[in-house]
Amino acid sequence: MMLRRTARRDRMVGLFAAGAVLLNPPILNLVGGWLFGWPALYLYFFVVWGALIAAAALVAEGRGGQVDERDRDGPRP
Amino acid sequence: MSQPGLVAVAVAYLLLLFAIAWVVEHSSGRVSRLTGSSFVYTLSLAVYCSSWTFNGGVGKASQTGLDFLPIYLGPTLAFCLGPVLIRRILRISHANRITSIADLIGARFGKRASLSALVTVIAVIGLVPYIALQLKSISSGLVALSADPETGATTGPVLADGALWAAIVLTVFAMLFGSRSIRPGEHHPGMVVAVAAESILKLLSLTAIGLFVVYGLFDGFGDLFGKAAKIPEINSVFDTSSPRYGYSWISMTLLAGLAVFCLPRQFQVMVVENVDERHLNRALWLFPLYLLAINLFVLPIAIAGRMMLPADTDPDNLVLALPFATGHPWLALVAFLGGLSAAASMVVVETTALSLMICNDVVMPALLRVKRLGLAEKSDLTRLLLWIRRAAMVAIMVLGYLYMRHDSAQFALVSIGLMSFVAVAQFAPAIVGGIYWRGATWAGAFAGISCGFAIWCYTMLLPSFARSGTFGMSFIADGPFGIALLKPYALLGLGGLDPVTHGTFWSLLVNTGAFVTVSLVGRQRPMERARAALFVGAVDSGEAAQIWRRTALVPDLMSLTARFIGREKAAAAYASFARTRGVDPATAVQADAETVLFYERLLAGVIGAASARVLVGSIVEEEPLGVDEMMRILDETSRLIEANRQLEEKSQALEAATAELKAANASLQVLDRLKDDFVVTVNHELRTPLASIRAFSEILRDHPDLPDRERLDFLRIVVTESERLTRLINQLLDLSKIEATGSIPAERARVDLAAVARDSADAMRQVFARSGMTLAIEIATGPAFVLGDHDRLVQVVINLLGNAAKFSPPGRGRALLTLARTGDYLELSVADNGPGIRAEDREVVFERFRQLGDTMNDKPQGAGLGLAISQRIVAQHGGLIWVESGPEGGAAFKVRLKAAPRSKGKAAGRHQPASAD
Repeated sequence: MMLRRTARRDRMVGLFAAGAVLLNPPILNLVGGWLFGWPALYLYFFVVWGALIAAAALVAEGRGGQVDERDRDGPRP
Repeated sequence: MSQPGLVAVAVAYLLLLFAIAWVVEHSSGRVSRLTGSSFVYTLSLAVYCSSWTFNGGVGKASQTGLDFLPIYLGPTLAFCLGPVLIRRILRISHANRITSIADLIGARFGKRASLSALVTVIAVIGLVPYIALQLKSISSGLVALSADPETGATTGPVLADGALWAAIVLTVFAMLFGSRSIRPGEHHPGMVVAVAAESILKLLSLTAIGLFVVYGLFDGFGDLFGKAAKIPEINSVFDTSSPRYGYSWISMTLLAGLAVFCLPRQFQVMVVENVDERHLNRALWLFPLYLLAINLFVLPIAIAGRMMLPADTDPDNLVLALPFATGHPWLALVAFLGGLSAAASMVVVETTALSLMICNDVVMPALLRVKRLGLAEKSDLTRLLLWIRRAAMVAIMVLGYLYMRHDSAQFALVSIGLMSFVAVAQFAPAIVGGIYWRGATWAGAFAGISCGFAIWCYTMLLPSFARSGTFGMSFIADGPFGIALLKPYALLGLGGLDPVTHGTFWSLLVNTGAFVTVSLVGRQRPMERARAALFVGAVDSGEAAQIWRRTALVPDLMSLTARFIGREKAAAAYASFARTRGVDPATAVQADAETVLFYERLLAGVIGAASARVLVGSIVEEEPLGVDEMMRILDETSRLIEANRQLEEKSQALEAATAELKAANASLQVLDRLKDDFVVTVNHELRTPLASIRAFSEILRDHPDLPDRERLDFLRIVVTESERLTRLINQLLDLSKIEATGSIPAERARVDLAAVARDSADAMRQVFARSGMTLAIEIATGPAFVLGDHDRLVQVVINLLGNAAKFSPPGRGRALLTLARTGDYLELSVADNGPGIRAEDREVVFERFRQLGDTMNDKPQGAGLGLAISQRIVAQHGGLIWVESGPEGGAAFKVRLKAAPRSKGKAAGRHQPASAD
């Protein structure tokens, strides 16, 4: 249990680092122009942002059903 | 639509929200359990998206493209650090019943009121512009939606002013939501659920507008972006020609990430209103998801606004103006209600949080300090607390309104909001440092926050006044008094940054620098160190209570607490606390340190840590925490180790004692067996002569005609046996007498051993002569004095001589009695030429009733007690007796006694103490 909690924390910190790099200059300045008729930066942000949130959700809720066993009052997603 | 009509709709909407809150707080069952849901918790966090998001974000997007995004990416990244940072803040705050951000900082750096008061003042000054912008957004929404643009202008007469109406209505609602009653822990479940409902409406409203724009006004995203790409100014925003995002992007991300836990309203919903730490797990990803969803349509709406609306439209009103201008007033009303939701929830939560801080960290501590008011003695202060809070709310709203009237035209919503972000970001170094760094000090936090705030005032607040005309643009352009190095937007010549990035950089740099430097240079008092340990390390409240060694009477504490939270709530809280500690609440009178701490925290939940400390301090006997005390706490572990060691020692000692007892028991068992043997032997020894006396006496009685010769023989046997019996009994008595007196001789006189030897020899000479044996005496010394009993010593020698006579062959037996001096000792020896004693028997010969030789054939020649008695007598005199081989093959008994010290006369010798051996 202790180990799992620490692993979860470390993964979240890892996500923070990845997000901080990907969602800030200078990396984001590499993206520009138009893609499939959409602004490429708009696509880039929402894809990276969405991926970050999905990964955070997997880490926070995933494997072991921690929320299921501890957060019974909350409705299911 | 007419402005009064819009106001009526807005008020009706707010009343609906209040109804929701009222139902939540007054019903039981499913509705009241809503706050126990992680979804409601997450949605209440969305109070982060104020009308600034709703209107200002779109406005900014229409100007500069994606620049609004860092405001939401920052919180997303901050929530990635949630398991490390936010969870820790939650735990610490719950453990200490923290009710505001000022409380948190104040509690960490010592409960001196000055620091939390400073934090409160900064928060109020920093957030007044933020509240002002909510009013501005509502009023401009009213203007935009009013059918007649003339009546609702913000420059019009005050009574027709939409912002004033908004301010009044929102103040009333803030009071209704946030300060209806005093409750321990400052939970406002009704407010939380209402905020959650508003968050849903915000999202639905903006999404509805977005879908309308994308699919109603355009033919999907592709159509919208395709048309936009053809407009050069929009196209230029998205092309790759020049790097557009630099420091300002990073600083906005940082600011937003800090604001998400430093803003008082965020702290209120995220920490204070949190009922279950586990809700954070879901909020970690669900809250960022909400932010993503609400921002999905911001850019399309902004682009559409740029393309479809006239260039002079207020960018902050795009969301309203688009449906309104395209002939969908009802959709515009939905957008207005969405913006109103955003503004209302922000204002209600922010004023609630700020009024709490003002009341608990500024007003109450000040009032409590003024002894003349006698507040500490008043019986019911709940009403006073409530009115202070309501007054604070009114004051905040008045300030916000005045700021808006003064400043409204000059800034876009986003710029005002960012100013507030920079102000509250000044708390971040103290908070993060406070919960992770033991060495952070009160002085460091005070220096950091005040320096950072000073820089903020200089680089952001003063220029905002300058731009609105208070003291002219030259202050910004040339610096004060024309000093270029002090230009507020280019301090020390640092140019090329936008004002927000510039202010963020300098204020946070100076703040962190001062905080760290002063903390490093300064010294922590023991109390401060203890508190740092509580916050940084995971110390439970029992140990915390030990650090503050305070005692008080439970009734005192109870009546104090009851005045602030009501008697019933106080009693219920104490009862449950007492239950967890296994104490009977009815009988406990003396409150120990832990109970005092419990009451202080209970009070802190209502009036803040600073006030609670002052109040509890007034009725508590506090023993100051000295260095010794600190050492004691720190040494707790080593004391445990010491105790453990002592325990080990004791168990070893116990083992040793057990072994001794076992040995003693074994020897007792041996002695017991010996006693049994002795009794059996004595029995036997006494029966033998008695039996023969009885047998011969019966013969004499039954045969009166026996010849005289035989009769005489029999009588002689009877006499001899009687003598033997007498002797045996005498010896037994002797033995028991000697054994009873133990090792202390009865008499201690100076005795001449030579005389003893001669007397004994004289007494025994007759016996030897009768058996035809010779007895020789050699006395190789003059008077040989020992301390002891003359008669007993004679008894020993006679005994030994008797043995020699008994065991030497009759007719040719020889015995030799010698007395010699060797050093301090006198040695007396009786040797014979009898059969001698085998080496293995030489030890046992001194035991009682031990008869050597073949007892089956030989009639025993003694009672077997002589040597035993002799040995005990010699032992009583501190001497030794043993047997060895004699010079002529027989046995040689030797007695060694310590010679008495030389003395002039007998009298003096009598009183000499017994010698050591």
